[in-house]
Amino acid sequence: MPELFNPIDYAVPAFIILIVSEMLWVRRRAPEKYDPRDTLTSLALGTGSTVAGALSGALVFSLAMWIYEQRFFDIGWVWWAWPLCFVLDDLAYYWAHRSGHRVRWFWASHVNHHSSQHYNLSTALRQTWTGFIALGFIFRIPVAFLGFHPAMLLFVGAFNLIYQFWIHTEAIYKFPRWVEYIMNTPSHHRVHHATNPRYLDQNYAGTFIIWDRIFGTFTEEVEGEKIRYGIVKQLGTFNLLWSVFHEWIGIAQDVKSAPWRHKFSYIWRAPGWSHDGSRDTSDSIRAQWLQSRQAKAD
Amino acid sequence: MTAELLKLAGSIAAILFIALFARFLRLGGDVRIRSEEQAREIANETCCGFDPVEIAIDKAGIAALLRDADGRHLLVRRHGVQWAGRLLDRHNDSRLDQNFLTVGTGEKTFGSVTLNLGSQASHWAAGLRHLKI
Repeated sequence: MPELFNPIDYAVPAFIILIVSEMLWVRRRAPEKYDPRDTLTSLALGTGSTVAGALSGALVFSLAMWIYEQRFFDIGWVWWAWPLCFVLDDLAYYWAHRSGHRVRWFWASHVNHHSSQHYNLSTALRQTWTGFIALGFIFRIPVAFLGFHPAMLLFVGAFNLIYQFWIHTEAIYKFPRWVEYIMNTPSHHRVHHATNPRYLDQNYAGTFIIWDRIFGTFTEEVEGEKIRYGIVKQLGTFNLLWSVFHEWIGIAQDVKSAPWRHKFSYIWRAPGWSHDGSRDTSDSIRAQWLQSRQAKAD
Repeated sequence: MTAELLKLAGSIAAILFIALFARFLRLGGDVRIRSEEQAREIANETCCGFDPVEIAIDKAGIAALLRDADGRHLLVRRHGVQWAGRLLDRHNDSRLDQNFLTVGTGEKTFGSVTLNLGSQASHWAAGLRHLKI
């Protein structure tokens, strides 16, 4: 097994330089694109996520190694395994991410990344502390079952994460059409972070936007429509611990108060689902929006 | 282990530097609600499809109360340089003190908001007392 370095260690200085550069860029154009308190919350979430990852990483890696022992193919460390592993891991990421939005248990962890009402490079580092509890990794380690070594998976996964950093910006509008067709770009990812009804729960891609095109979750950014970022029910606070745990607390409260036959639904159904229909999911919000748009057109 | 702790210390130092740098650059700003049109837009962004028929804006422009045709009341307030809001129900407590109306949301982290509504304050207090949902 080759000795692999952690690509993120080398990327962090670049992250800092790029965030500072973006701050200088917005200073003249739109200083409201950054809020110091929001940035501090995002970066604290990022640091906490690194610590949480370090604490749970060994366990996840051991599980991946166990799966690797039962592998289908002996792929080894041949050169073509690296790009193939990257693509397959990106596909696995797509499904993990999609589930992270469509199943409340997974959303409770992933919501941390979306709870900022800003969209800038610091938002990219706003990562979860509770990914291990949410078990989101179960989507990505099956690639090891095919015969890709967990160390290779970890390595390409780190590059995927690095790729996703720079797309969290409003400084870039769009790339040439062929790039926008294949790659996840700032434009596509702005759509993903938007709470505008037309954009809710779209563009789950990590690196390649083609997964969204294939699986029917792609939406193009519409020129001239102001994007609102964040979550449907904005937190309204910069409280770090509330930002981390609010959805977990919400699940616990709902499960406690729900009738027995609905308790489990508050865990596995879509965020916003309620047994009495008193709340809105992204689907119901989009349906209402389409209805009101149709009514206006008529 | 020492290397990991050093990395963590470096990360904390970096985030503090970035947050302080953002403050130094005076990023952010002072957002206010300056018109009913703006309040209407914020309400629609906060609660999709909320179409207010009555609007009261705090004198300083940091919050607003809005009512739609169904009698739903929406409170919006400043959150940094953005806006956040909550639909109010009969469980939310409100207190009237002359021109000032304090509206609770029942959420500790969202908190309560005191709006200077001038002579409209008592009218809105009465509206909140009679919420049916």
